[in-house]
Amino acid sequence: MVKAYAQEHVYKHPWERVTAASWRKYVEPENRRSLSHILEVDTLNRRLDPVSGKLYTTRGLTVHAPGPWFLHKIVGQDICQCVESTVVDAKAQSMELTTRNISLQKFIEVEEKVRYDPHSDNPTEWTVCRQETSIRIKPLSALASMAEKIEQRCAETFMQNSAKGREVMERICKYLEADSPMMAPPL
Amino acid sequence: MGLHKKTSSASSTSPCADLRSAYHNCFNRWYSEKFVKGRWDKEECVSEWEKYRACLSEHLDDKHRPFLESEGVVQADTGNPIDDAYK
Repeated sequence: MVKAYAQEHVYKHPWERVTAASWRKYVEPENRRSLSHILEVDTLNRRLDPVSGKLYTTRGLTVHAPGPWFLHKIVGQDICQCVESTVVDAKAQSMELTTRNISLQKFIEVEEKVRYDPHSDNPTEWTVCRQETSIRIKPLSALASMAEKIEQRCAETFMQNSAKGREVMERICKYLEADSPMMAPPL
Repeated sequence: MGLHKKTSSASSTSPCADLRSAYHNCFNRWYSEKFVKGRWDKEECVSEWEKYRACLSEHLDDKHRPFLESEGVVQADTGNPIDDAYK
């Protein structure tokens, strides 16, 4: 009983800008209204490997859990704690984020993997984002009999939130572009 | 009831909100201006990070800490090896 889906999106912005936008997505107050399901984001750990140019970051996300009221009633709460682990390889130009829930695990397991890579058709100007999400209701939980419905419902909410996330990313990329010193005419 | 829970949890680390924005602002600047441009030899924002981290350790106690520790995300008292190296 695993529901999995994949999405792909091309940003017409360079990898450096798109990954910078990804870091800003949840922490900037002006995005709070669009991404209201994200209640809190804290950086819990960070490590830079100064030789290889790899940056490892762990963040804790408090998320408003998707689902109808009866689901919240069964589970006993409507918020969920998630951990997001990110590896950015500046040399190879890749960013990979893995997010999974660490609360409500006896009911449900959600794992989301997102990768940002330079687009093969236009590596210096475009970035491709590939996202994979899997949702699994635990077979022996109180939710098992409704698993299929809940997984479907969750998947729909995730899709809506991903769309909102992309809009926010596009907006941040635009203002980073306006701010970018690379856009200034050469002296 | 549900709403009450949500409110209390959402504000659980907010005593650190100012230190958090100070760190994230510094990090975002470093990421865009240095890290992605090949200047990754030195970690920056160290003092911002230490203040923020100290605040988090203090306020994570109640609810977050047990599950974060169980996941090995937050270690009881080991510092960040990279930060320590740059002290």
